[in-house]
Amino acid sequence: MDTILTAHGISKLFPGVKALDSVDFDLRAGEVHILVGENGAGKSTLSKCLLGAYIPEEGEIVFQGETMHFQSARDALEKGIAAVYQEFTLVPYLNVAQNIFLNREYKTKLGLTDHKRMEQEARALLKTLNCDYINVTQMVKKLSVAQQQMVEIAKALSFRPRVIIFDEPTATLSEREICSLFEQIHKLKAAGIGIVYVSHRMQEFARIGDRITILRDGKKIATVGIYEKTSEQLVNMMVGRDISQVYHRSENQRGGIALKTTALCDKAGRVKNVNIHVRHGEIVGVAGLVGAGRTELAKLIFGIDPIASGTLEIDGKQLTGKHTPLRMVKYNVGMVCEDRKRQGLALKDSIAWNIMAVSLRRYFPRQFINHKKMYGICGEYRKKFRIASPDIYRPCRLLSGGNQQKVVLAKWLSNNPEIIIFDEPTRGIDVGAKMEIYALMDQLAVEGKAILMISSELPEVIGMSDRIYVMYNGSIVNECVRGSGDFNAEAIGAMMLGIKEGSCCEC
Amino acid sequence: MNYIAKQIRGSRSFFCLAGLMTLLILSSIASPDFRTLDNMITILRQASTLLILSTGLTAVIITGGMDLSVGATSAFIGCVCAQFLKIGVPVAAILPIGLLIGAAVGALNGFLVSVVGLPAFVATYATNWVVKGMSIIVMNGAVIFGLPEGFTWFGTGYIGYIPVISVIALIVVVIAYFLLQKTTWGRDIYAYGSNAEAARYSAVNVYKTVFGAFMLCSMSAAVGGLLMTARLNAAEAAMGDAYGLQTVAAVVVGGTSMLGGEGGVSGTVIGAILLTVIVNIMNLLGIPSSAQPMVVGGVIITMVLVDSASRRRDETVSKKSRNLLKTPQKGEVV
Repeated sequence: MDTILTAHGISKLFPGVKALDSVDFDLRAGEVHILVGENGAGKSTLSKCLLGAYIPEEGEIVFQGETMHFQSARDALEKGIAAVYQEFTLVPYLNVAQNIFLNREYKTKLGLTDHKRMEQEARALLKTLNCDYINVTQMVKKLSVAQQQMVEIAKALSFRPRVIIFDEPTATLSEREICSLFEQIHKLKAAGIGIVYVSHRMQEFARIGDRITILRDGKKIATVGIYEKTSEQLVNMMVGRDISQVYHRSENQRGGIALKTTALCDKAGRVKNVNIHVRHGEIVGVAGLVGAGRTELAKLIFGIDPIASGTLEIDGKQLTGKHTPLRMVKYNVGMVCEDRKRQGLALKDSIAWNIMAVSLRRYFPRQFINHKKMYGICGEYRKKFRIASPDIYRPCRLLSGGNQQKVVLAKWLSNNPEIIIFDEPTRGIDVGAKMEIYALMDQLAVEGKAILMISSELPEVIGMSDRIYVMYNGSIVNECVRGSGDFNAEAIGAMMLGIKEGSCCEC
Repeated sequence: MNYIAKQIRGSRSFFCLAGLMTLLILSSIASPDFRTLDNMITILRQASTLLILSTGLTAVIITGGMDLSVGATSAFIGCVCAQFLKIGVPVAAILPIGLLIGAAVGALNGFLVSVVGLPAFVATYATNWVVKGMSIIVMNGAVIFGLPEGFTWFGTGYIGYIPVISVIALIVVVIAYFLLQKTTWGRDIYAYGSNAEAARYSAVNVYKTVFGAFMLCSMSAAVGGLLMTARLNAAEAAMGDAYGLQTVAAVVVGGTSMLGGEGGVSGTVIGAILLTVIVNIMNLLGIPSSAQPMVVGGVIITMVLVDSASRRRDETVSKKSRNLLKTPQKGEVV
């Protein structure tokens, strides 16, 4: 097999973090090359450098024997490197055909858009993907997530690429949809197209991969054949240390029930009849796939979304009346939310103001701010949380992901909550910062705080939780207690997929 | 000290201040009439009304909102209060009446924007017409002249060399500065403007924040409207028209971002003075009034361009932060 794409010594800098540190990578025609690593290891960054979305500071990219200097993703696309991103790039209010040929529409002789021809070609493309059930004149907004995924792939194929990069394509798909995606990938492979597959789902590797490149903290650790390493060996290479050291739990004393929900439902039907409870001094995990309703549950508890039915009790007292974040904070509840850039931080504001965003009203109940006192408090939190920044006056957007997350944590913990909801607390941050956050959660549990942790990373949920609720399709389907027989990745993983035993298909 | 220097250099109004200084120096060279004490006091007096009207607007724009009704509100309150004065209401009662009406208009804007959820642009543009219509009804098409001297003194009087109106402008600015910088409500305004969703997640009382900003805006418009009436010694329905967008220009030239979350009243002070100085020097140099609006437009574009260029600069990785990468900062002590 010929090598069609090679990258030598790629380095990429972001403010405050070296995302890639002279990484080498090569891709052969007709192979699936998996890029693996923890969140923040540099997988997505490397794939974006390969397809021109990022311009690396150092290194060169050779494609079909030619050195490339991509200035944009468009450049790479025209040369034959296409991508299917984790986040969709489709325009929801255009139809399938219009999306596939967006910005390069066929024209009639009069210079008008040739809808007929676009629809024909789109239909042909979808047929090669066995997706002719998708109506090309349907508005994309009305398609299911999996169908949108297929449209994305069709769009990538319409450029007749030699290389396709898939960035975590299965994150939002169900098992059946994953199977049909893998079938398509096998077909593309057989057609001699080189495929870069970014993922951190171990169970998928053997089903589609040929070689694996492991990244950690922006450095390449190794490139190995798919059968050369066991999955434990791969995990160790990814994490760089023994799992038991990463997830350290101290002895903790369980107290009374801090948070309890009874038959909780939301209005959109994404949370159904949820009964959970969290004790003081306990870390309770919520596992489930993306779209299982975990974040919706957290938002419901914290008063972001309105409760349709069911009750919520805090320290035994049932909550009545208005249910808003403002009120929950008064009840000593805090929530570290999923998307720190959108919901967690005011990126333009300084580190100090972000740290104080919640607790300002507690420190200055008369509403007059004493700036000296405030900056003093923030300085202490910067030290305590080891936020890597020369001062606390600079805007949060200049910080790396891990440090931004620490600011979010400082924001909530400075308000001294008794119940804390962590929604994806370590998404997109480096291993060092991750371990600090785990240590912090452990310490909070020892102090008797009640912690509800939502995460899509199974090792993290299993490593940190005392108890795990498994959520599937809006409902809690199981509860696993640490030490019991089903408290392991295989069992919980199967419950998350909504299946009892084994897998639904063999690809 | 180092901190203060950093704050000034890093602040959004730095370029505006530099622009104003340059303008003052160039004008002083260009025209001997410009650099007289009399002219400086004239500028101060002329800038005061604009400044008062723009000060409250600054708070609204920091929330990421907009208030296009400032000019109409100020005229409306001026008209109503002139009518009250005519029927013999004492001067001392006029300020509370004006502020009350201002608070009501602000509450209407706040209600339309934060409770009903209309875009601020549309909501306040509509309010602009409603309020303007009410002024026309109140005035019945006429112009009121000859207000009591106790009232007009606020617009035309002097304390020493300083116009009374400028002293009042200073008081309004100081109050607004204090509210925005030193209270938790002021911080909520910045937090909400910077990221409304994050503010909600951080348990900021959104209604209190937005209502407060609009009410502050309309109340400062009330003060401005009263002073405008006092200075003209007359009131008519159309007297606030020119201020509708000029106030927005003063705020934006002063470095407050239309996207919200950045800026402040100190910038607006500079912005209002800058806009006044431009018109003043053009008059002194004998530039025909027909050509003046174009120049003003050009200056606004230049100021906003320079400002956004300076913002883009610190988006990219600076040399400093590259060096940061080489020496790990972890565990470093304050």
